Amino acid sequence: MNGAQTLDAWLKVQAIRKRFGARPLFDKVSFEVARGQTLAVIGASGSGKTTLLRILAGLDRDHQGRIFIDDRDVTSLPARQRQALYLYQEPLLFPHLNVFENIAFGLRLRRLPKTQVREQVEQVLGEIELQGLDARKPESLSGGQRQRVAFGRALVVQPALLLLDEPFGSLDPETRAAMQELFGRVASQHRITSVFVTHDLKEALRVGDQFGLIADGRLRNYIDRAAFCADPDSGVQRELRFWEALRVEAIGSGAKPTP
Amino acid sequence: MVSGVAVASAAGANAAVIRAGSTSLLCVLIAVPLVLLLLLSVTRHWSYPGLWPDALQWSQWRVMLSGDRGLLDALVSSLLIAVIVAVGATTAGFLTSQRIAGHRRRGVLLMLALLPFAISPVVLGVTLNYGFIRLQLAASLWGVILAQFLFAYAYAVLLLSGFWNTRIAALSELAESIGADRFQIWWRVRLPLAAGLLGVSLFQTFLISWFDFALARLIGAGRVQTLPLLVFDYFGSGDFRLAAACGVLLVGLPLAAVLLNRRLLAWPLTAASSRV
Repeated sequence: MNGAQTLDAWLKVQAIRKRFGARPLFDKVSFEVARGQTLAVIGASGSGKTTLLRILAGLDRDHQGRIFIDDRDVTSLPARQRQALYLYQEPLLFPHLNVFENIAFGLRLRRLPKTQVREQVEQVLGEIELQGLDARKPESLSGGQRQRVAFGRALVVQPALLLLDEPFGSLDPETRAAMQELFGRVASQHRITSVFVTHDLKEALRVGDQFGLIADGRLRNYIDRAAFCADPDSGVQRELRFWEALRVEAIGSGAKPTP
Repeated sequence: MVSGVAVASAAGANAAVIRAGSTSLLCVLIAVPLVLLLLLSVTRHWSYPGLWPDALQWSQWRVMLSGDRGLLDALVSSLLIAVIVAVGATTAGFLTSQRIAGHRRRGVLLMLALLPFAISPVVLGVTLNYGFIRLQLAASLWGVILAQFLFAYAYAVLLLSGFWNTRIAALSELAESIGADRFQIWWRVRLPLAAGLLGVSLFQTFLISWFDFALARLIGAGRVQTLPLLVFDYFGSGDFRLAAACGVLLVGLPLAAVLLNRRLLAWPLTAASSRV
């Protein structure tokens, strides 16, 4: 399963090796992601999920192996030229800019005309359901709103690759579910290719089209949900057994679900 | 229960009294020297044990403002030196502190930046003077600027190194990921975020130069006249009223800057509270 091949691969990662001093972190990690698909990657803490994203983003270039985005070899390119946008675990916004300017940040860098910037930002504000909050400063937003702004700021520059590092980890369950739904909808609408790292199995199953499991310096690649669920190491079977046992226990005790 | 409430309210009243007392003491300690300086600058005669001068006059201010006693030259020199030192030290300090923040021997380098303050300015001035004579920088405006810069630069490095935390690093990486080049990261992210602290650094390094006496005296060797030197000269010649008038100017300029822009004092406090 390692290094699974798909047709129309947009992102190709070939034999990535990474060491931290004497400790090897990755040994020949290879995978591909088709255009417009989301690869959901799970793994234990310290397994290298964040490092993998940083390597793909070009923020960590001290590694071996090659990376291709849309058949373009980006291995030696700096982060700013990769069009691979990294979304942090915490909704990291520029504190000196309001919501509008945070979203417009990438467009300002590209020196687009003012009217075009306004049009695009307003469109994105609508998509992330934050109309009317454009003048607000980051500190006055909730965690969910901040994450939406961060997502909108990524969306507006139409990145070739979106890299999400447990982006909804700090949100409450309700907001988290809403953000997962928003991400799924917008990613599919814009055909965004993304790598979504999470330690939450349910979240991975919700957002992913393809699946990956990082363990022991390797990435196991699963072409679809069925393959992922069938692997005992993915944790899905264990999770199902837990809920099944709970269900049987509830039935045995005669408890009825509340309407 | 009632006695518990009474004890709590008495303790609260005591705390309020202590707070008001310490605030008043602080105000008096700051205000008294300033008022005394202002009063001395307009005094004609003040005989002991009077609490107030016997007679006031403006003649020392007229003498000073006429420019006859070298005040204008000293003022211009002081301003020029302090502005160059402040801008140079803050710029260099900001860039250096960024380099130090990412250095594996950060602690050692910051210790080195403390060195100029561990050595007396007089001792350092004497040592520098020897080298500056060799370099033909002694008794020149640029010699004084360079000597003061060493102190101001070290101070700026220490002050600005606090800015480079993991959050700034993450915001810089984020900007790069969105497509910013090096210049854009500085211009659109780091400088706006550091603006408040840079303002404080400019002001503080300006003060280091503005109030410097030892280095200006030793390196300037009488050829470079600054306001602190002038105050000392007036005082040395027994003209304490003119020294006081000159002192008002020396203290008044930075004080006015602080009053006009209170953020210069408030920034470190607000920054500290926002980081919590």
